[in-house]
Amino acid sequence: MNTSTHQDGPRAAPGFLRRLLRSPSGAIGLAIVLLLIFCALFAEMLAPYNPAKMGAGGRFLPPGGDHLLGTDEFGRDLFSRILFGSRITLLIGAVAVGISLTIGMAVGMIAAFRRGWIEAILMRSTDVLFSFTETLIALSFVAVLGPSLQNAVIAVGVAGIPFYARTCYAAALVETSKSYFEASISAGAGPARLVLVHLLPNVLPTMIVVATLGVSTAILAAAGLSFLGLGAQPPTSEWGYMLAGSRDYINRAPWLMTIPGIAIAVTVLGFNLLGDGLRTSLDPVERK
Amino acid sequence: MTFLHTNLRRMAGATALVAGFASSAAADDIIWARYGDIDSLDPHRATSTLSLQVWSLLYDTLLATDADGLPVPHFAKSWESNADGTEYTFSLQDGVMCHDGTPLDANDVKYTIDTAFSEDAPSLTKGSWGPITASEVLDPLTIKLTLETPFVALIPFLADSFSSIICDSNGEGFGTTTAIGSGPWKLVSWTKGDRIVLEKNPDYRNFGKLAENPGAPHEDGLIITVVPEPQARLAALTTGEVHIAEPPFDDVPMIKDEGELSIIVAENTGQNVFWEFAVHRPPFNDVRARLAVAHATDAATAISLIYGDLSVPENCPVSRGVFGNDQDFCAQYRPAYDPEKSKELLADLGYSMDNPLETALLVWTGGNRQKLGEVFQAQLAEVGIKASIEIMDIGSLNARVRQENENTEGTTGSMDMMTWSWYDPDILYALWHTPGAYRGYTSPELDALLDETRVLTDPDARKAKVQEVFKYLLENAIHVPLYTPGWEWVFAVRPEVEGFFVAPFVYPNFSDVKLGG
Amino acid sequence: MWRFLGTRIAMGAFTIWITTILVTLLIHAVPGDPVQIMYAQSQGTTPEQIEEVRRSLGLDRSIPVQYLMYMERLLQGDLGATIRGGQPVLEVILQRLPNTLLLACAAMFIAILIGVPIGFLAAYREGTLTDIALMIIAIAGISMPHFWLGLMLLFFFALELGWLPVSGNGWLNLVLPALTLGLSNAAIFARLTRSSMIDVMSQDYVQTAFAKGLPKALVLRRHVLRAGLLPVVTMMGLQFAFMMGGAIVVENIFSWNGVGRMAVEAIFQRDYPLIQGFILTFSVVVVFVAIVIDALYAVLDPRIRRS
Repeated sequence: MNTSTHQDGPRAAPGFLRRLLRSPSGAIGLAIVLLLIFCALFAEMLAPYNPAKMGAGGRFLPPGGDHLLGTDEFGRDLFSRILFGSRITLLIGAVAVGISLTIGMAVGMIAAFRRGWIEAILMRSTDVLFSFTETLIALSFVAVLGPSLQNAVIAVGVAGIPFYARTCYAAALVETSKSYFEASISAGAGPARLVLVHLLPNVLPTMIVVATLGVSTAILAAAGLSFLGLGAQPPTSEWGYMLAGSRDYINRAPWLMTIPGIAIAVTVLGFNLLGDGLRTSLDPVERK
Repeated sequence: MTFLHTNLRRMAGATALVAGFASSAAADDIIWARYGDIDSLDPHRATSTLSLQVWSLLYDTLLATDADGLPVPHFAKSWESNADGTEYTFSLQDGVMCHDGTPLDANDVKYTIDTAFSEDAPSLTKGSWGPITASEVLDPLTIKLTLETPFVALIPFLADSFSSIICDSNGEGFGTTTAIGSGPWKLVSWTKGDRIVLEKNPDYRNFGKLAENPGAPHEDGLIITVVPEPQARLAALTTGEVHIAEPPFDDVPMIKDEGELSIIVAENTGQNVFWEFAVHRPPFNDVRARLAVAHATDAATAISLIYGDLSVPENCPVSRGVFGNDQDFCAQYRPAYDPEKSKELLADLGYSMDNPLETALLVWTGGNRQKLGEVFQAQLAEVGIKASIEIMDIGSLNARVRQENENTEGTTGSMDMMTWSWYDPDILYALWHTPGAYRGYTSPELDALLDETRVLTDPDARKAKVQEVFKYLLENAIHVPLYTPGWEWVFAVRPEVEGFFVAPFVYPNFSDVKLGG
Repeated sequence: MWRFLGTRIAMGAFTIWITTILVTLLIHAVPGDPVQIMYAQSQGTTPEQIEEVRRSLGLDRSIPVQYLMYMERLLQGDLGATIRGGQPVLEVILQRLPNTLLLACAAMFIAILIGVPIGFLAAYREGTLTDIALMIIAIAGISMPHFWLGLMLLFFFALELGWLPVSGNGWLNLVLPALTLGLSNAAIFARLTRSSMIDVMSQDYVQTAFAKGLPKALVLRRHVLRAGLLPVVTMMGLQFAFMMGGAIVVENIFSWNGVGRMAVEAIFQRDYPLIQGFILTFSVVVVFVAIVIDALYAVLDPRIRRS
């Protein structure tokens, strides 16, 4: 868990993109993520077929020919489905992390800023939630709300809150205990100014790294729920759901199993590499 | 690295402690793998086909079904009723033994009925026993049932495993750890979620069941295991880990080509898969919306895509093998596949491609039904019906359908691919007679028709009335039949297995099975 | 040390207490009428019977009273009965829990056996091509969805090659699920071991030991390993929780009869007493393992041991 920023005061990050691109993992990660965003944005234009159209080709056509990645059990074009799936996957990652990040950061910063009993309550409940583990929280949420993609995303988002809260709290604590911060308080700076000008910019680099890595965790978790049938419902071209459906055709059409799996793995790898790259480029003293 | 070492060793020790299993089957045990487990060994505590199939091995019933699905004598060697059809007297076979060595007689039948009607924990299928008011042991081999009103569906019910006779020596642990019956197989153990181990009942006597074997099964043991993944079941069949299992549907042609495993498809399953709708709110309170769905559905194409030739389209609200079923009769009234007609009806209702009719489409998990739902979803989209699929367990589905019927607010519809298997058209009474199992469509005319199907003792008169009910349900698109059979009806069997067959209503029978080779 | 452990145990007890409150509330968060959903399978239930069930579950009482009723039963070891089949929830769970624990332990064993040496090697060769290659493999491992890895292993080893059985609960059946879960977590251990080792190796006392010309192997064994593996031990508690979570998916792929497969079935069947029991059991196991790991850590770390 990386929580450290070591410089005093807010920090600009001019050369950071250069540093990011210079680290191999950062560059590869960024390239993968940009490619994904491109696919997601222009899925309609890039996809050769309608992803929901049955019988666009024969059933179980192997990759190659008219269908780059073959067709599925309904004769739907797999390449088009994977392309549209990238949109769903990115959306899942963004929304889930958005939920974890906003609530987690709010909790972490309030706890670090207010201290005292508010801090105690917030951080102890975070500890309790944290020890439940994300899987259990997500599963409990789906158990109550019922299986759907929306509920799975909410579940994954909520499950991530304790981790983000803890990380943000630790990062914010480093700042609030510094001399300049106490000086600003005694100089009569209001809470809003303190939080927005001093606290937020300083926790942000850490949180960006955590959130980038978190996108990959969220995507994996949501895909796992969909795989179990507790997430996306048909005909959504969600990759985890597609993978689950491919199990029946493992002999007859193994590409239906391999390709969505590779898509998930590459996406997750992209965010992991980017997160790693960001970590080193945003924080040069970081050793890990 | 010493600490790590001890740590690992400690862990390995714990591992050995918690592992007390690794059971292997004896050479002469039949192994049958299914996708899921039973809910209970107690015939009053569950309704799933998975459970019923096991009860039919453990217990006897008063009557049995012949190859056409008609009731014949079994533990009851004969029966008679009074002229009103309100009293039934059964005379029972002598010398039948329960698995614990106690005799099976009229007292056990009375015990079974009393438990089914018990105050604090009645049977889940209490309604299907009919209006029984008293059961009387006239002598150990004669039992008399008294009914409040005539109920012709009682006889077929007594041939179904829902009415399995529970030995009155059952006590503590019945249903979970013990199950004393008089059927061809005795319970050895049940590990929930994993396996049921049975051994042959050497004293078994077969009076009316379809097996050729008049006595105890040929093989010593039968192990019923749970293997949820279809491909894993197929692999287990190929390697000989299991003898009998449901194969992945898409691999059936390949299995047939290879010719090693044989494929057995159950006939006269009574299984009916159909559309029904939430009729107490728009859009499906209007018959035109229901007909639009029916006309947009091409069941024949959809099932051939998903199941190949393993299923067939069904025209009647009760399926082949059930009293009253007549394909030609029903075909006159079942709304045929006609997308143009469907579009007209939708236009009539003010819908268009840009303003689609929106509905939830509820589907039961498993057996590739969600894939079939996906095909139907695409067919409905062709005419401008936007259906969002929700997949759920059969229990949740039942609850949800009722909730949807009780919800009269809103404009988003709800329809579902419901599934029922029954041995008699009396199921239609349960579904569509006021108040209706799901609180769905009801009407005074339909109630009157259904009432008569319960009391008409003359088969021809009853058949005519049952078919009037069919006509009503089809013309009003209340119960739109899609196909049959629908679940757990395909079996792949290893070559060394001889004598395996599936009795009507999907009851696999192992009494004749011999493991050769 | 006792103070440290005492705090951990108190925290664990607190967590379990919160869980009992949450599982009581769970049934109220369900949209619709939970009793009706639970008894949907039964065609014979009358409104009176539904009311009776509601009463017996205490759902007609206020929430605090319900909580006390639940706790009273819980303390007697009564977790209620399953909706499907009416079996005691505790019995159903205890029958399967050993299988899940076995899977998680076996996976942990594999993860450590593979992950720690790789991490150590990478740290030892920090900055070399070996290090970079190993860490690329590790990050790829972390990115691999374990349900996909499981399917691929199933496909190759069980279906294609037929080396391993595909169903049942014997030792051979344990291999693939444990491998699936272990491999995807080995990468985490590798990364952690590496960074921790590098950390320790840059410490002054280690540098001094090297400078003194002590044999490299001796320094590594005596100073680096022990200190470097401490964070790995701390991680084991959290990792075990991950394993338990991962087991839910893996059990479903390999038909392994553990509580994870049971939980997913229970969610589909809306068997709320069973779901409640699962959540409670899961958190008790995770909390218990965390305390054990903390105790282990306390024994190993001289700073805590002496305090």
